[in-house]
Amino acid sequence: MANSLRGKVAIVGVGQSPTGRVPGRSPLDLTAEATLNALADANMEKAEIDGVLTGNAFASSFHRFSVALSEYLNIQPSYSNTLQVSGATAGAAVNTAAAAIHSGLADTVLVACGDSLLTGMTPDMAMRAMTESRDQQYEMPFGIPVANTFAMTAHRHMKEYGTTSEQMAQVAVTFREHASRTPGAQKTELITVDDVINSKMVSSPYRKLDCSLISDGAAALILTSAERALDYTETPIYILGGGEYYSHEHIFLMPELTQTGAVNSAQKAYEMAGVTAADIDVAGIYDCFTGTVLMMLEDLGFCKKGESGSFVEDGQMTYGGQIPTNTHGGMLSYAHPGIPAAWFHFVEVVRQLRSSCGERQVDNAELGIVHTLGAGFSTQATTILGTQSTR
Amino acid sequence: MNKTSKDSLEKPLPTPDGDSQVFWDGLKKGELLLQHCDDCGHVQYYQQRICRQCQSVNLQHKAASGRGTIHSFSVVYRAPGPAFKEDVPYAVLLIDLEEGPRMISSLVGKDFNALDFDIPVKLKTIRVADEICLPCFELTIS
Ligand SMILES: [Zn+2]
Repeated sequence: MANSLRGKVAIVGVGQSPTGRVPGRSPLDLTAEATLNALADANMEKAEIDGVLTGNAFASSFHRFSVALSEYLNIQPSYSNTLQVSGATAGAAVNTAAAAIHSGLADTVLVACGDSLLTGMTPDMAMRAMTESRDQQYEMPFGIPVANTFAMTAHRHMKEYGTTSEQMAQVAVTFREHASRTPGAQKTELITVDDVINSKMVSSPYRKLDCSLISDGAAALILTSAERALDYTETPIYILGGGEYYSHEHIFLMPELTQTGAVNSAQKAYEMAGVTAADIDVAGIYDCFTGTVLMMLEDLGFCKKGESGSFVEDGQMTYGGQIPTNTHGGMLSYAHPGIPAAWFHFVEVVRQLRSSCGERQVDNAELGIVHTLGAGFSTQATTILGTQSTR
Repeated sequence: MNKTSKDSLEKPLPTPDGDSQVFWDGLKKGELLLQHCDDCGHVQYYQQRICRQCQSVNLQHKAASGRGTIHSFSVVYRAPGPAFKEDVPYAVLLIDLEEGPRMISSLVGKDFNALDFDIPVKLKTIRVADEICLPCFELTIS
């Protein structure tokens, strides 16, 4: 790689708003609160932010959420954009912020997002959220919500590799167990594989408990150059590698239903970081559905193609296993406010790498991966994070 | 927040554009048009001005045989919005057409027990508005 981001930029602050059911708070309000918490975490004044990247919020009418957020906070950045690559927006925004800092476009970038999918949506907004992300000509007229695209990939995975509903259910069970230890998680009561299997069918093979939550909430990250990072924190968490991949727009042009562009985005990120999947200590994996996580464990290289079901049943995705994943509980149990959902994966992996997770701390966590994806596996963004000692 | 507007009750209908008008016109005559590339032989769904394989503009529209197989499917029980509430449950299909391309469609009828991977289906156009017929599929009785 001619140019590399490896170790050039660090996350120096993370913050979030209340999450779950948070009525009466606008997406901008929630995102501003998360930002102020991230600033406090970084011991930083808001005037030091000169770049702002966000995703868009469904429950907000602003088209340029990043610009609206800047005004709300009364800051005037010299670099700003509102990104839209669906669920991969979080990873893409972190990678892009790192690139902007490395290239000199900005010194310190706020990467934030918030939404109120649970309590802030009018029926029209909800309709838009559910249907507008699919093509209005060749997909949506058939009544294909985005859930359906993920359901069809999981279904084919079951057919080709014998993956079972029980194995998918185990993903939900594991993340619920993780969430039970996370302050502020939306769902904390433990569930069993049977609970998942007996929950209502939503879009086969996915049942209610195979599907992520609907929540309100926001999270914010503050990135700055490695040179400045130690001015703000004793535990900067460095961006070691980033990779993205955009293999298709329509689900019917996905090259293979059971292998995704995460293979490509991860390969690029691992190469930049100079590590392999075997080196990673803790993971944040976009978990819009249980089967999505199974396919990602394969495509990110944690197990072989077709073996993710037994990998998860063996406890390899939790404490003591090969790759503790979504230790906060993920979108299946912690919170899923839409586009901001994957920001919490970043917040959690940063906290794990800082060794600040208390009773849910993964032992000796030095290297982490966050993988975000969206739109029926159309968009993929991988980020490798590491502590000072891995830089 | 519980007010449901007229818009959210209406199903999204395709709005034909410069690329796709001929496709939607074909369906009104019962034809599912695919584009065949004169230069590289690639057959593509959906319609656009250039071949996605070789970028040639020498594309011919030809009606598909209407035969295909089910690559994957999902039965939708929870409607994506009020407009689809009357329809659930319904099955969405990923169809591999005999000519090669894959497409999204939905099943005519509700014989979900008969659904399976890699089984044959055939085209049945369904009129959903004055100017719009959707290319749906039904199970081929063998
Ligand atoms: Zn061609």
